[in-house]
Amino acid sequence: MKAKILYIEDNETNMYLVTFILQAWGHEVFQASDGAEGVKTALGARPDLILLDIQLPGMDGYETTRRLRAEPDLAGIPIVALTSYAMAGDKEKAMAAGCDGYIEKPINPDTFITEIEQFLSDAP
Amino acid sequence: MSHELRTPLNSIIGFTGILLQELVGPLNPEQKKQMGMVRGSSGHLLELINDVLDISKIEAGQLQVGHEPVDLNTVALKVAATVQPLAQKKGLTLNCELPDGLEPLSSDRRRVEQILMNLLGNAIKFTDAGEVRMRVSPAGPDIRIEVIDTGIGIAPEHLDHLFQPFFQIDIGLTRKYGGTGLGLSISKRLTELLGGRIRVDSVLGRGSTFTVLLPRVEAIP
Repeated sequence: MKAKILYIEDNETNMYLVTFILQAWGHEVFQASDGAEGVKTALGARPDLILLDIQLPGMDGYETTRRLRAEPDLAGIPIVALTSYAMAGDKEKAMAAGCDGYIEKPINPDTFITEIEQFLSDAP
Repeated sequence: MSHELRTPLNSIIGFTGILLQELVGPLNPEQKKQMGMVRGSSGHLLELINDVLDISKIEAGQLQVGHEPVDLNTVALKVAATVQPLAQKKGLTLNCELPDGLEPLSSDRRRVEQILMNLLGNAIKFTDAGEVRMRVSPAGPDIRIEVIDTGIGIAPEHLDHLFQPFFQIDIGLTRKYGGTGLGLSISKRLTELLGGRIRVDSVLGRGSTFTVLLPRVEAIP
């Protein structure tokens, strides 16, 4: 299934890496390098899934998630956080902000696409 | 700090994986072998960084443990399944003795998993023949977890230093067995943060038993 995926990430190397994998599996990738741009891109592109880094410049991933969740037009789009080796509480914070799940970095290239597609098939 | 240390690894592990999956194009056997070595080394470096970050957080008093219902049998089986291939590779039997009807602990699932992973990983690493056994049993207000091996054992004079960071008995062992030298010190400190205790009994040349006692309900320190 080809999906539209928005990835919000400020690190260029990570952006390239994740974009490459998603495109290699046939998905269309929309990129944003901070939270504000992410919300704007989401409203324009209406993606099937939003992936976002938690440590973003300015507005962090939690706040970005809350803003995305506040947009009625984006209701029902799964949001997945990419977190650095989660500490106790990180996952809960991401879920409380409105994320549907999280994937730990460093991502495992062997399982990443399966994890992502899991969230796509769960979507209503 | 943690972010800065792991971010470059994200790209090393990620791009190595992509190349090895041959998403970019086919690799010749030598390229595959060398990329496999990069993957192995970067995995080890990640382990080392995670351990160093854990120990520095613990020593700075900044590591917080969670409180959630933890089903110890589920955790034990998950860890056993993860290390099973390592045991199999060495021709070792891995046995789990788990009690029925154990009430969930109030603890931190991830950290309990980490402790068991360290102990079982060590037991397999330092055992060349025989078996590794994990036994869970009730012990009054605590739950007792024993990890028993038939491995090389530890001399009495080394038992005191065993839980100190970066202690491995000699350089030769580090070369032969790998590891970060931080697993046991992290396990001890995590166990204590969870309100428990850890102990070792060992006979050189015969094997070791590591015993962890975790409170069923975490005491407020």
